[in-house]
Amino acid sequence: MLKKYISIMRGAALAALMLLCGASLPAQTTASGVINGSLNNTTGISIQFDSDPAGVTLGAAGTNAATANFGTVSAFGPLAAGVTRPSVTAANFTVRTIFDVQVIQGGLNSTTYTLTANLAAAAPTGMSYKVDAITLTTALQTIQVNGAYGTDIAHNLDLVILTAAPGAGGPAVNTPITTTINFTATAN
Amino acid sequence: MSCNFKSGGMKALLAVGGLLCLLASSAAAQTSSGQLTITMSVQSSITLIFQNNPSVGTTGFCPLTNAGTNNVGLDFGTAAFPGSFHTLACVNYQHLNAAVYQVSSAFDVVVSKSNSSSPNYRLAAQISTPPPANVSWLLNNVTLTTAGFTTLDTADNYAVPITKTLQVQVKNSVAAQPLLETITFLATAN
Repeated sequence: MLKKYISIMRGAALAALMLLCGASLPAQTTASGVINGSLNNTTGISIQFDSDPAGVTLGAAGTNAATANFGTVSAFGPLAAGVTRPSVTAANFTVRTIFDVQVIQGGLNSTTYTLTANLAAAAPTGMSYKVDAITLTTALQTIQVNGAYGTDIAHNLDLVILTAAPGAGGPAVNTPITTTINFTATAN
Repeated sequence: MSCNFKSGGMKALLAVGGLLCLLASSAAAQTSSGQLTITMSVQSSITLIFQNNPSVGTTGFCPLTNAGTNNVGLDFGTAAFPGSFHTLACVNYQHLNAAVYQVSSAFDVVVSKSNSSSPNYRLAAQISTPPPANVSWLLNNVTLTTAGFTTLDTADNYAVPITKTLQVQVKNSVAAQPLLETITFLATAN
């Protein structure tokens, strides 16, 4: 009777051991984690100047601080590539180049922008500056009210130069003249 | 009670103020600025053009082709010594002596200046190829050569038409042939 009891207990213990082994063998060691990503997507707008195929090649094109070199200009002499002379009168002559403005926006509920410009300082003697036929001053002037984003928009840049001699109202000759035009694009 | 009310009102006021600030900041126009810097140098210059004289069409004033430019044409037509033959009424035809005839026509030269303090200019001219023997090309009675520019005027005023007469003198011994010449004018600022 005791032997039979012992045998039954051994069998039960074996069964329990097998069950334990069977349950633990398929299990793998694991670890887990999460990344809590965050982004603050804000609004933005940028302006850049690009060279126009019909105009002079801009220095630092593709940036918001470009340069346009007209070279040596005169009423009757040759002009640099990309510079034209649309008019010559007894009083003045105009030299022109074309440049592109590209404005890019992100996150704005705006489909167009307004472009304004002004001279950084008063125009040199005998000179005036026009963008798209709008004469610039040191005060802001509206150039365009419905500019499209994300594309180059060509603008005429005219330098109107008096034909008078230096000292008689005309500009200095054979002297580099530098003028800076500020442009601002404002989302509509 | 009154104190509580004031405290609550102050909180509401602050809340509304903050909201207005937020709205104002979000409604502010987004802008972007850039600068385009222009450089250039002005140079003095002058230009020369030929124009029809106001008397164009009358004798001695034939019309220029391409008038108003610095590259024009002046046709004297056909002429011969015998019988003072000439085909264009605008040509001034003369027998200078018993063996030479002359055709002539006048036109205007206008020289303009820009950005210059030059008070006036010199005008000179030369022909491009030596003419046949016994043929002469003249401007205002000054014979032109291919050797160099011959001075016509020393102090012409800018922007004022200067009338010049082109003459061709041909001896009657010259064989029949087209007489072609290119006359180059040179204006030099004084």
